[in-house]
Amino acid sequence: MSEPVYKVVWPLGKSTYQIVSMKPRIADLAGKTIGELSHGGFRDQEIRPIVEEVLAKQFPGIKFIDHTAFGNIHGRNETEAIAALPENLHRHGVDAVISGIGS
Amino acid sequence: MVRASAIAEKAGIPTATIVATGFLGQAKATAKALGMANLGIAEYPGIIMNQSKEELRKNVEEVLVKNIIQVLTKPVENAVKVNEPGRADIIFEGTLDEVNEYFIQKQWSDGLPIIPPTVERVQLFLGFTDRKPDDLIGILAPANREATVWSVAVNGVMAGCRPEYMPVLIAIVEAIAEPDFHLRDAGATPGWEPLIVLNGPIVKELDFNYESGVLRAGRQANTSIGRFIRLYMRNVAGLLIAPGSTDKGSIGLGLNVVLAENEDAVSELGWESFSSQRGFNRDDNVVTVQSALSTTIPIYSAGDTALDHMDTFVEVFGGTCAFWSHTAVRKGKYFPLLIISPGVAKVIARDGWTKKDIQQHLFEHTKVSVRALEKHAWQIGFSEFDLHALVEKGIISKAYSQSHDPDRLVPAFIRPEWIGIVVSGDPGRNQSKGFVQNHDQAPPISKKIVLPSDWKKLFEGVKKTNAED
Repeated sequence: MSEPVYKVVWPLGKSTYQIVSMKPRIADLAGKTIGELSHGGFRDQEIRPIVEEVLAKQFPGIKFIDHTAFGNIHGRNETEAIAALPENLHRHGVDAVISGIGS
Repeated sequence: MVRASAIAEKAGIPTATIVATGFLGQAKATAKALGMANLGIAEYPGIIMNQSKEELRKNVEEVLVKNIIQVLTKPVENAVKVNEPGRADIIFEGTLDEVNEYFIQKQWSDGLPIIPPTVERVQLFLGFTDRKPDDLIGILAPANREATVWSVAVNGVMAGCRPEYMPVLIAIVEAIAEPDFHLRDAGATPGWEPLIVLNGPIVKELDFNYESGVLRAGRQANTSIGRFIRLYMRNVAGLLIAPGSTDKGSIGLGLNVVLAENEDAVSELGWESFSSQRGFNRDDNVVTVQSALSTTIPIYSAGDTALDHMDTFVEVFGGTCAFWSHTAVRKGKYFPLLIISPGVAKVIARDGWTKKDIQQHLFEHTKVSVRALEKHAWQIGFSEFDLHALVEKGIISKAYSQSHDPDRLVPAFIRPEWIGIVVSGDPGRNQSKGFVQNHDQAPPISKKIVLPSDWKKLFEGVKKTNAED
């Protein structure tokens, strides 16, 4: 029995992303300002102080900007918080970001 | 978290995103679709919510902080974009079995046999819309791929739809492509499933079931269109269950067939239809898509007064929905849906009640204790759950902050008008059923179905062909 042969097309859609060129990382975190982003879940309020404590011991002069400065990035007003994020990070002189908790 | 980190990276600031072990694949896939396949992910080991304080401290000190330091300081390479096929390129040739096997291997199938999407079949579907194949409907996250009329037709073919369903399929994709639908969150752990509610003359025209077994697979229109939306979310939005990684629905739910409202029953009752409550005319054909987390048990209510039935609705529908109110109050959104069978609706309507009266009664009488809200909020991972703070931020009303008594009762629903009421199901039985919904993730979004200008002629042709077959 000869079965029909089907010529089929691709079921996905065109990918829209553009490759983002990543800026150089930071060689030494000492004296740097770390911005914290959070949605306030998954025991973030327990995890973050320990992260700060351990990093402060290893990197003298490291400074943390609390997540409340940037709003809840996955809350009811996340669209506004995300839109304002670049300006807020620069305004606080942030050198690096720790974002969490993804779970 | 990944999306926020991506914004920071675009602003030129290095990031470390803390992600628990079970979510690494999802985080990496999301980062890739944002053009940052090498985004720094700092793993937190294990299931956070199940660890003792001592375990948590040890994991942060010995694992997490090292990972954070590594991703913030280690040089990173930029990703490279791969070439993909054009929309009408032939990507495979083979028999029915071979095509199905190929699509399964590529993760483009839901596991059921598909109809091979040939150009000829796709063209048949495109004949049932005035829109151009390349018309862009939206960009669907998390994969961030284009949703076009063409890809709607391709996936409609695969799902086993008829070509004349095309206007309905387009309206469905228009709904889920709306930014407020939050399709990007469809891979969240609660595992919600899209529910399509259909209204208008097209219910009968395309032969949708709206009576007994309305939520069962078994009628082509309801079933194949229900399959279509999940297939489209898989292929275009990129939501893949294991061995994929973008759909983290922990357990999930089987796909929903289309829920069509019984328009005749609604007219006989003198009620508004589901879509007319949402601002459409009764003769408009309308799809509404929203999230559905789970159904209630079958709600058998008996009696010859409206209140007889409402008491049971509050107890079973309200009680079930109340177990998910902790997520609703956190976002200030909640859109559960109650399906009332025509026989029950008739008793309620006979007492002069409208759908609005039902919504108001459910809202006023369904309560949940703050103790229960806080318990379930903590267990899901909302470790900063604070009703008084939510009231201060204006997310929920002052009804939630009347005192600090943990045993006080507060409303389980956010607004009465946000409780959906659909008349459907077996007209010969006193049963209703409800759906719990997932707060701001996929609130109901309605779209009018736009028929092609020569719909009548096209559809007559279909009916004639079917009759000849």
